[in-house]
Amino acid sequence: MGQVSCVHIVIVGAGMAGSKLAFDLMQQKNANYSITLIGEEAQVGYNRIMLSSLLAKDISDHEMSLVDTEKMQQEGVSIIAGDGVESIDLETKVVCLVSAKTIRYDKLIMATGSRARILPIDGAKASNVMGFRTWNDVNIMASLQKKQSVCVIGGGLLGLEAAVGLVKRGHKVTVFHRSKWLLNRQLDAESAALLRSRLEQMGIEFRLGESPSSFIQSESGLVNQVMCADGERMTADLVVMAAGISPEIALAKLAGLKTNQAIVVDEKMQTSYRDVFALGECCEFDQQTFGLVAPIWDQIKVLISVLNDKDARFSIEPTPTKLKVSGVNLFSVGKVQADLDDSCIFFKDIEANHYRKLIVNDGVLVGAILYGNVADGSWYFQLIQNKTNVSDMLELLVFGEAYCCPKVA
Amino acid sequence: MATIGKTTCPYCGVGCGVNLSVPDSSMEAIPPVSGDVDHPANFGRLCVKGSSLAQTIQSDDRLLTPIVKGESVSWESAVDTVGEKIAQVVKDHGPDAFAFYLSGQILTEDYYVANKLAKGFIGTANVDTNSRLCMASAVVGYKRAFGSDTVPCNYEDLELCDLLIMVGSNAAWTHPILYQRIAEAKKQRPHMKIVVIDPRETATCDIADLHLAIKPGTDAAVFSFLLHHSVQAGVLDNGFISRHTNGFKAALEQANESTPTLFSAANFCGISEQDFMQLASWWNETPKAVTFYSQGINQSSSGVDKCNAIINCHLATGRIGKEGAGPFSITGQPNAMGGREVGGLANQLAAHMDFATPGAHQLVQTFWQAPNMATENGLKAVDLFQAMEEGKVKVVWIMSTNPMVSLPDTDQVRRALEKCELVIVSDCKAHTDTTEMADVLFPATGWSEKDGTVTNSERRISRQRGLLPAPGDAKHDWWAICEVAKRLGYQSAFSYKSVHEIFVEHAALSTFENNGKRDFDIGHFSQMTKEEYDALIPVQWPVPKGQPEGTARMFENGRFFTPDGRAKFIPITPVLPVHTSTPEWPFTLNTGRVRDQWHTMTRTGDAALLTKHTDQPYVEIHPKDAKHLKIEDKALVSITSPYGEALLKAKVSRAVSPGNVFAPIHWTRQFSNAAVVSKLIPQVVDPLSGQPESKHAQVKLEAVNGVSYGVIVSSTPLELLDFIYWCLVPSEQGYHYEVVCSVEKNKNVTSILSLFNQREQSNGQWLEYNNPNTQQTRLAHIYRNILTAVVYIHPKPEFISCDWLVSKLAEGETLSESDRMAILVGTPANVEDKGTIVCSCFQVGSKQIEKSIKEGVGSVEELGARLKCGTNCGSCLPELKHFIPIITELTV
Repeated sequence: MGQVSCVHIVIVGAGMAGSKLAFDLMQQKNANYSITLIGEEAQVGYNRIMLSSLLAKDISDHEMSLVDTEKMQQEGVSIIAGDGVESIDLETKVVCLVSAKTIRYDKLIMATGSRARILPIDGAKASNVMGFRTWNDVNIMASLQKKQSVCVIGGGLLGLEAAVGLVKRGHKVTVFHRSKWLLNRQLDAESAALLRSRLEQMGIEFRLGESPSSFIQSESGLVNQVMCADGERMTADLVVMAAGISPEIALAKLAGLKTNQAIVVDEKMQTSYRDVFALGECCEFDQQTFGLVAPIWDQIKVLISVLNDKDARFSIEPTPTKLKVSGVNLFSVGKVQADLDDSCIFFKDIEANHYRKLIVNDGVLVGAILYGNVADGSWYFQLIQNKTNVSDMLELLVFGEAYCCPKVA
Repeated sequence: MATIGKTTCPYCGVGCGVNLSVPDSSMEAIPPVSGDVDHPANFGRLCVKGSSLAQTIQSDDRLLTPIVKGESVSWESAVDTVGEKIAQVVKDHGPDAFAFYLSGQILTEDYYVANKLAKGFIGTANVDTNSRLCMASAVVGYKRAFGSDTVPCNYEDLELCDLLIMVGSNAAWTHPILYQRIAEAKKQRPHMKIVVIDPRETATCDIADLHLAIKPGTDAAVFSFLLHHSVQAGVLDNGFISRHTNGFKAALEQANESTPTLFSAANFCGISEQDFMQLASWWNETPKAVTFYSQGINQSSSGVDKCNAIINCHLATGRIGKEGAGPFSITGQPNAMGGREVGGLANQLAAHMDFATPGAHQLVQTFWQAPNMATENGLKAVDLFQAMEEGKVKVVWIMSTNPMVSLPDTDQVRRALEKCELVIVSDCKAHTDTTEMADVLFPATGWSEKDGTVTNSERRISRQRGLLPAPGDAKHDWWAICEVAKRLGYQSAFSYKSVHEIFVEHAALSTFENNGKRDFDIGHFSQMTKEEYDALIPVQWPVPKGQPEGTARMFENGRFFTPDGRAKFIPITPVLPVHTSTPEWPFTLNTGRVRDQWHTMTRTGDAALLTKHTDQPYVEIHPKDAKHLKIEDKALVSITSPYGEALLKAKVSRAVSPGNVFAPIHWTRQFSNAAVVSKLIPQVVDPLSGQPESKHAQVKLEAVNGVSYGVIVSSTPLELLDFIYWCLVPSEQGYHYEVVCSVEKNKNVTSILSLFNQREQSNGQWLEYNNPNTQQTRLAHIYRNILTAVVYIHPKPEFISCDWLVSKLAEGETLSESDRMAILVGTPANVEDKGTIVCSCFQVGSKQIEKSIKEGVGSVEELGARLKCGTNCGSCLPELKHFIPIITELTV
C-alpha cells in the first residue's frame, strides 16, 4: 500500500463489541488508524455481562468497565456517547448523528447490538414493562422500592440473572417461562430441576410452562397486575421482558445494507456494501445470530486482521454457556437432548447438587451439561471443539479430566 | 509391656512355633505374631497365614454361649440336654447310635478324652475325624508296610536328601515353611534334584528340575515302574530286602505285570518316556532320596496302594531309616498326627493299637477301667454320614470341623444331619455351614485360648498354649466332653482338672505294657509334673522312659512293628480313579488349596490381608477348553456333576491340562452362595482307608451367559438373594461383595436398586452413574455425608480394586466433594487442587492464581496472558484485581 494517509474507522455502537474493537484497534502497533466510537448510551465501554452482577450488588459501578476509556481518549480515540446515529450514506461514506453532526469515514463498522424482544402481550407497551439490556435498565430496577413485586418473563440466562438480582434487592420475583423447565436451551429437565430448587431457596417463584395472558394496566397506564393463563391475577410493579433479543438493524435497513434476521456478513465480517462491516449481536453469519461473547471476540480478531489486510475467516464454534449467579454453577455446551443415535452418560449426586450429563455420538462428545461442579467444563468444551475421539475414555469420561488424562492435572 | 508366649501355629501339619505377645491390658490390640526361632519346624520363619494370626484373634462371629434349639442357655442346661439324649439313644438303640466327628485341629488332650469316652465308656468306636479326608490312606499305607502308623522321616531329611520326589503336594502353598526350607537347601546344594509329580503345574514346580504332569490318579504306576526298573538298574538293597522285609517277590512280580515296559508305564501316566527315564535315572543314581507325598496321593480310591507303591520302592532300595531318605507323608492339619496317636479314628483303638491287635482291647480296657469297651471298628467318615441318613446313628457330636463343606456330596451330608435326632456342634464360630445344622452349639475356645499339645508331620510334639482368656462362656473341648461324660455317670474317669492330667494319662497308656512292641511310646512323660508339661520343649516321639531326647528318625535299626519285625512289600496294581470321563461329564475336577486360605476359612477368613492373593472361588481351566466352551477369564462358570452344582469364576490357565479343571476347597456358603466344591464330589472312598477320592470328580462346565458383573461395598452385611452369584471378600472395614446379576437387572438404576433391601436405604440418598456406552451402572449410598454402600455393575468380569472404597467406609469419615465423585470411580482423582474457581470460562481457580502471582505475575493482564483467566467474558476481572494486593500483602 505504501505511504497512505490515516484511515478513519467509524464504529457505530459502543457496546461490548464496538468498545472492545475500538480498544484493540487502538493497540495495533503498525497501523495508522483514526478511530471514532459512537454510542447512544451515556456509558461507553462497560461490560454488559456484568449488569446482572451489578443488579445483584455483587459488584459496584467502578468494576463495570470492559476497556479503559480514559486510555483510549489519551491515545486519540474519539468517543461520542449519548448520541445515536440516525442515518448512513453509503455512497458518500458519511454518518449522520441524532445531534445532526456528520462524520466521514473510510471504513464503517456496524456494532449496533440488539434490544430485548418485547412479546406481543396486551399491555406490553406500558412504561414499566422493560428489557434488561443496559446500565440504565439497572438504574430503573434499582430505583424500585423494596418488597415491590416484579414479574420476569423468560427463564433463560438473562431472565434468571435478572430475577436473582431483583430477589437479592428484596423484591418479590416471579418468573414465567414458556417451557417445562428453566434454561431449556442449556439444560435438561433433571439439571433444571436442581437449578430451580436452588433458585426457589433464594426466594424466586416460578410458573413454568406458561406465559402471561395479559398485563393489566392501572389508570395511570402502568402495569399493576399480570393475568395468568388460568385466570389468576398477580400483583406486579414491574415487568422485565427477558424472552430473547432482537438484533438492532433499523439503521442498517435504512442505509440499504442487506439484512435478514440481522445484518448479513461474510466470513470476513463484510456486509453487502464495500468498506462496511458488522459484528456482534447485530450481524448474521451463515444464518446465525450471536448472543454470547465468545464468538464475538472471535469476530473482533477476524475483523482487525481484515482491516490490516491480513487473511482471516470467521467460523462458528460451539460456545459454552454459564449462568452468572453466585452460588450457582452450571455449564452447558453442545447438544442438550440426545437424539436416537446418541447415548447419554449420567452422573447424579442430587444431595450435593452435582449433576453431569454427557451426550456421545459415534465416539465423539457432542454435548455436556454440568451442574454443581463445573470444573471439567472447559475440558469437555475442548473435547467437543476438537471432535476428539473419546471411545477409549468412555468409562471414566463423566468423572472428568483428572481421571481421563491424569498427566494433565 | 507385653509378655511373649510360645505356642504352635493352628494351620498346616508343619507345626511351626509361634511367638504371641500378650498385652498386659485386654484393651490393647494384639501385635502381629512372629516365628519362634527356637522351634525346630520353622526356626523363626512363618508363612503369610501364620504371620496373620493376630488379625484372626478377634472375630465378630465368636460363639459365646451354648445354644440349644436356637436359644442361648447355660452350660449346665446344655450339657444336661446332651447327656440325657445320648443316654436315651444309647439305651434305646445301642452305643453305635452315637458318634463323634472330630477334627485334626483339636488338641491331643481333647482327642484323648473323646476317644476314651466313646470307645471305653459309651461303647462305640464311632469316633471319626476330618483327618479321614486328609491322611487316612497314608496311615493304612504305613501300617500295611511297617505294622505301625510310623512316619519314618523328619524335616531335616528334606534338606539332606539329594533327590526329593514331591508327589501330589503343592507344598509351596500348602506347607510353605517346608517348601522354603527345601528351596533354601536346593539353593545351598544346587545338585539336589527336585521332581514334582502332579497333574497340575503348581507353584511348587518353580523349584523343580522335572515336572511330571501325569494323568490324574496314575501315581501308583510311576512307583510300580520305578520298582521294576530298580531291579534292572541294579540299585536294589538285597541285604535289606532279605534281612528286614517280606513279600518282595510278589510285589516285584506284580510291578512287572502292571508296568512291564517304560512305554506302557509312560502311556498309562500320560507323560513322555524321556521324562519318565529322567526320573528313573535320578532314582537309580541317588541313594539319598525322599518321596514326599500328601493329599494328591491320599485322596484317592486307591490311595493306600499308592502309598505302598511308594514305600515299596524305598524298602527295595533300603532308602529308609537313613539320613535324607524315606517315604514321607505330610499331613494337612496341625494335629492330625495327635489324633492318630490317641487312636481318634474309627479304625483305631488307642495309642497306636488297633481292635485287631491281639490283647490290645483288653489292655486298654484295663488301663481305662472301662465299663463298656467297644470291640470292633466303628464307622469311617463317609460311612458314618451314610449311617446317619439311614437313621442308624442318631446323635452326632461334631467338633471343630465343617463337614457341610469338607465331606464329599454335601447334599448327602445335609440329609444325614437333618435325619439325626441330635446334632451337637462345638465350634468357636457362630456361623458356619455346619453350625447352621446344629441342634446344640457348644462355644469352644480357639487358638491362643486352647491349651494342650499337638504333633506335627515329623512326629514332633509341641505345646499349643492358652495365652489369652476365653471370651464369653467359651470352654475347652476336653472340658465339655468331660461334663457330658459325668452326666452319663462316668464321674471318676473324667474328673480331669487340667490338660496336664490328661496328657500324663495319655503318656501312661502309650507305655502301658508296651516294652517296645508299639512305636508310639511317650512313657518319659507319664510322670511329668504340671510345670514340666507347661515348659515342654518340642520333641519327636517315641520318647520312651530313659530317652528324653526323643527320636529323630525311625527304623534306623531295620526293625519294624510287624509281628516278625520285618517290613512288608505290598503287590500293587495301579488303577484309575473310579469315575472317568464320559461325554456327559467330560471334565475331570481336581481340588486343593490356595496359598493364603486354610480349610473352610473360619479363621483365615477373618484376615483381610489373606484375601489379596485370591479373593474369590475359581475354577482353573485350560485355554483350549475355555475357548471351546466360550468361557472368558474371570467370567462366571457353572460347574456340575451328578451330585450338585457350583458357581465359580473362571481362571483360564495352562497350569491344568486340557480336559482337567481345578477348584479350591475353601469357600463356604458363609462366603459365597454356591462355591462349595464338595457338592460335586462323589462319595467314592478307598476301600481300605475310607478316604474319599476328593481330588477326582467328573463334571461338566458351562459359561453363565446373560449376566452382568459387579462389586458391592457396604458398611452393613447384605442379603443378596436376588443375585446369581455373590462372594464376600473379607475386608478391613465393612463388607465387600463380588456379585453377578442377570443382565436384565443392569438395564437401569431402578432395577439394580430392586436387588437390595430397601429398608436399608430409606434414609440417605443414592448417587448414580449410568453409562449405556459401556453398560456401566454405579451407585453409592450416602447418609449424612457418610458412605454406607457402593454398587458397581458392569457387563464384563473385571477387577476393580475396592481398597479405597473400603477405606471410605471407615466409621464417621465424612466425604469431601471430590470424594463424592471418586466413590463412583473407585479411586481418588489425581487432581490439582485449583482452589475455588474464579474464572469460570477457563476454569481457573484461586490457588492457580495465587501461585502465578507468587511466581511474579503482577497484573490482571499478565494473569490473563498466562492462565487465560478473565480473557473471555471478563466477568471475573474485578475478582482477579482483588488477588493482586492480597498476595502482595502476604509476601510483604
